[in-house]
Amino acid sequence: MPKNKETALDVRYANSNIEVQTELPANTAASQGPNPYGADESKNAVKLDIDYSVVDTDTEKKYGRGIVHVKNRFRMPEKQLFQFAEYHAQEAERTGYSNYSYWKSVWANFLKKKVAVIMAIVFFALLIFTFIAPLFSKYDAATVRVDGQDLSRMFTSPNSEFWFGTDSLGCDYWCQVWSATRTSIILSVSVSLGQIAVGVIIGLLWGYVRKLDHFFTELYNFIDNIPTIIYMTLIALMIGQSTLIMAVAMIAFYWLGTARNIRNLVFMYRDREYNLASRCLGTGLWRILTKNIFPYLISVIVLRLALSIPGIIAYETTLSYLGLLDITTPSLGILLRDARSNFLAYPYLLIFPAAIVSLITVTFYLVGNAFSDACDPRNHV
Amino acid sequence: MSEAIKNMQSSSVEMEFAARAKQVLSTEPILSARDVEVEFTLRGQKLKAIRRCSLDLYDGETLAIVGESGSGKSVFTKTFVGMLDKNGKVTGGNIIYDGKDLAKFTTESQWRTIRGKKIAMVTQDPMTSLNPLKKIGIQIKEAIELNQPLRGKAAKAEAIKLLELVGIADAARRYNQYPHEFSGGMRQRVVIAIAVACNPQILICDEPTTALDVTIQAQILELIRKLQKEKHMTIIYITHDLGVVANVADRVAVMYAGQIIEIGMANEIFFNPRHPYTWALLSAMPQLGVKGEKLPAIDGTPPNLFNEVHGDSFAPRNKKALNVDFLEEPPMFDVTPTHQAKTWMLDVRAPEVQQTIDVDKLSRKMNEPQPSVGEIVHPHQEPDREALVEVKDLQVTFGSGKKKFVAVDDVNFTIYKGETFSLVGESGSGKTTIGRALVRINPITNGEVLYRGQPITGKISKERDVEVIRKCQMIFQDPMASLNERAKVDYIVSEGLYNHHLYENEKDRQDKVKRALEEVGLLPEFSSRFPHEFSGGQRQRIGIARSLIMQPEFIVADEPISALDVSIRAQVLNLLNDLKKERGLTYLFIAHDLSVVRFISDRIAVIHKGRIVELAEAEELFRHPLHPYTKALLSAVPNPNPYLEREKKLLVYEPSMHDYSEDKPIWCEIIPEHFVYGNQAELAQYEQEIKA
Repeated sequence: MPKNKETALDVRYANSNIEVQTELPANTAASQGPNPYGADESKNAVKLDIDYSVVDTDTEKKYGRGIVHVKNRFRMPEKQLFQFAEYHAQEAERTGYSNYSYWKSVWANFLKKKVAVIMAIVFFALLIFTFIAPLFSKYDAATVRVDGQDLSRMFTSPNSEFWFGTDSLGCDYWCQVWSATRTSIILSVSVSLGQIAVGVIIGLLWGYVRKLDHFFTELYNFIDNIPTIIYMTLIALMIGQSTLIMAVAMIAFYWLGTARNIRNLVFMYRDREYNLASRCLGTGLWRILTKNIFPYLISVIVLRLALSIPGIIAYETTLSYLGLLDITTPSLGILLRDARSNFLAYPYLLIFPAAIVSLITVTFYLVGNAFSDACDPRNHV
Repeated sequence: MSEAIKNMQSSSVEMEFAARAKQVLSTEPILSARDVEVEFTLRGQKLKAIRRCSLDLYDGETLAIVGESGSGKSVFTKTFVGMLDKNGKVTGGNIIYDGKDLAKFTTESQWRTIRGKKIAMVTQDPMTSLNPLKKIGIQIKEAIELNQPLRGKAAKAEAIKLLELVGIADAARRYNQYPHEFSGGMRQRVVIAIAVACNPQILICDEPTTALDVTIQAQILELIRKLQKEKHMTIIYITHDLGVVANVADRVAVMYAGQIIEIGMANEIFFNPRHPYTWALLSAMPQLGVKGEKLPAIDGTPPNLFNEVHGDSFAPRNKKALNVDFLEEPPMFDVTPTHQAKTWMLDVRAPEVQQTIDVDKLSRKMNEPQPSVGEIVHPHQEPDREALVEVKDLQVTFGSGKKKFVAVDDVNFTIYKGETFSLVGESGSGKTTIGRALVRINPITNGEVLYRGQPITGKISKERDVEVIRKCQMIFQDPMASLNERAKVDYIVSEGLYNHHLYENEKDRQDKVKRALEEVGLLPEFSSRFPHEFSGGQRQRIGIARSLIMQPEFIVADEPISALDVSIRAQVLNLLNDLKKERGLTYLFIAHDLSVVRFISDRIAVIHKGRIVELAEAEELFRHPLHPYTKALLSAVPNPNPYLEREKKLLVYEPSMHDYSEDKPIWCEIIPEHFVYGNQAELAQYEQEIKA
């Protein structure tokens, strides 16, 4: 037996690595096991290799049962090392948890996507700029510059006076572009929010309440089988061409696709065990929809919302091209339509609004994707 | 005399072990993994799934790797065939096979020389490993053509031969069928056929029977053993079920937190385990439970491998941990030359600890009637018993017209107040459907369900409806699926309170949640967390707290432990038993394994294809199983004793053995409180069996 068997492993020995070489006496626990195969009695030679100098108060925390016990253990003689430690059932229960908050993780994950963050900042800067741009401009968007004989101001290329040039009526293009951008963003964002709100609510009901499935499916088929453009034309002709009417009309048809999409997703979650458990507890329909199903769809909804914004700008372009929008309020669609006839001769008329539409489209695509990824808790650690 | 035969049989298994041990000591391993380390990168964080794990594999043996989910048993063996997920990487150690170091392999073409040809793999879910759009035969033929010099007709003939080999009758016709035409067990046979198609030297079976029923599992195990002998393969068998281990394994390796903590011959591991975790694992087996006693459970959950593990990874859960366990990782100690364990308990300076259980004794008891039968009075035996739930002529059908499927038919039983009534059957037998019908999630087609003598199905008043909701609750099978992942524990537990305004004010609600969590052994501070932070066992207890807060009288427990790890099952079973005592609860306990419910049940009903075939007091059912299906189920129960398990005779139940064309079967009380389903001729035969 080595003599340090009795030695206390005290802090005094702190810097030396302690080696304990022991040979197994015949009566120890290990040798009592069956050894039917006639091999040698095993020799247990163990190196106890704890560098006690390393352990200071900082690293203590990491050890099993918390600081208090660890502190005591360092000053313990070897004998005590091989005695039973206190058992704390609660500590066993605690093994392996982390702090977690859903929205914090969403935010942290979103911030990791650098490109998306930059695009989002650029977009917000653009949005703010559309409101303050009129302060910089020398002219008013509505003012027509061509008066009588003075045609010289038509199609002026961008210069120091007309930063974006002038259009076919000699109007300042700078203020038109920003005013149009503002209109388009407000229109598309409000239409998107509106159609998402309607679509999600109806989609949830459609998917979860079996009795409604038939009705909504037929309604969907009925409306969806006729091209929306026909409805839009009819509405514009019969009710009027104001931007507000068109916005409402777009919401009225756009929710269909969202609702259908949500309905299919609800099918995936409807009969999961946690929903059965809720039904078993007598949870009402509204609570199940908002607490059990809606949170699972957030990332899909965010993505749909983000992608529908550029979609609606494009649609608005189509509508204004067809002349179904109120053309007195400039929007990006109207600018693009007007630029189309002259863009070979005056390409700048097309470039400015097109660049902005592209920027908005790309931004929402990237930011929407990044945000919906971040919303998916599978991507949270 | 039977004792003498048993001893003789045991000794033949013992000799087998001895021969295997000699081989382990005297021959070179065919595969040798040294200090393997595997790391996964999960969204920027590193997870050490395997921490310096070593293993030798010897020719012709069956090595079982046992461990809980997340212990790394699958990941470790996947490194042998280069099938780690994309974000995983072998970061250390080497795996020597056939003179090559597999840990250094990088390209697919290198792996293709090994994978499938030399080392093949059978995975857990047969449905996902077969292509549903291709004929069974073509899939086997492809495997043959890829790895053997056979083509066309010759390959087809070989494929049919393989199908016959894995025990598929009428192989030539089956060759042209698609996977959906095969049952789960048969699909797994096909997967095995594909795996052995190119005569691999090593076959890795990753939980091949976990998704299967007990009776099918027993058949697959028999098949694997037969194939091993015929093809002289070495098998690595990964499982969490110690009963299965006892059946197949020559040697057993126990894994915990990414390390092998004990390895030895099967008999050494079962009868002389050395690591506290192995002890705990063995003693926590519900099969070995004694009625009226608590199972020795392991608290807590395995460590989170995202964090660095200090000392012995099992120490925080070990009730008899030493101080040194928290400081220093133990080395591998030799117990015998074939048996090593990684625990300070084997150090010469460690105190001696008496092993708490004797697997041999307990497992032999499994096959005998338990002695405590007379002492326990079951609720249904009391003279003033009170019927809590009555099921009358219950029928549940799904679909309509041609697609109509009768899931449950003509089911009658009564559950008395205070008892645990178990419903045992295989998947698709309708047991869950009955449970769900009782809590009214599934509408019933016919018959009625009475609660305290009054119907709760059909049209009932609003107040009665709320009362029944509060009094009848359900615990679900899969703790991963049965909690709303997007809500905090606080909301999940108090959902019932919100629904029926069962609280006076916010503080009262929080107190109730706290009490419910404490009652199921969770810390009150857990209420502000999300479910995904908890382990399976903890989640299951959250589910139990959710139903308890309603103050129910009757709980339907739908396989509450089958999705849990072995070490955690005991926690949940103990909890359910304690709650029953404290609150006088009544349970309908649904399970697929007879042995698990034996020690917690007062009565057991066996259900087959939507019909209850036998119903009796638990011990009576084990003593006098009458219906052939019950007998088959009993014979398939895995026994955690390698000596008994390897000698057991498997009974197979064929429903076609009943001739009900003229003599119609009835549901009959053959002796008091023992019901069985059969026709007159069968009943007469059963009566004789009881007398004998």
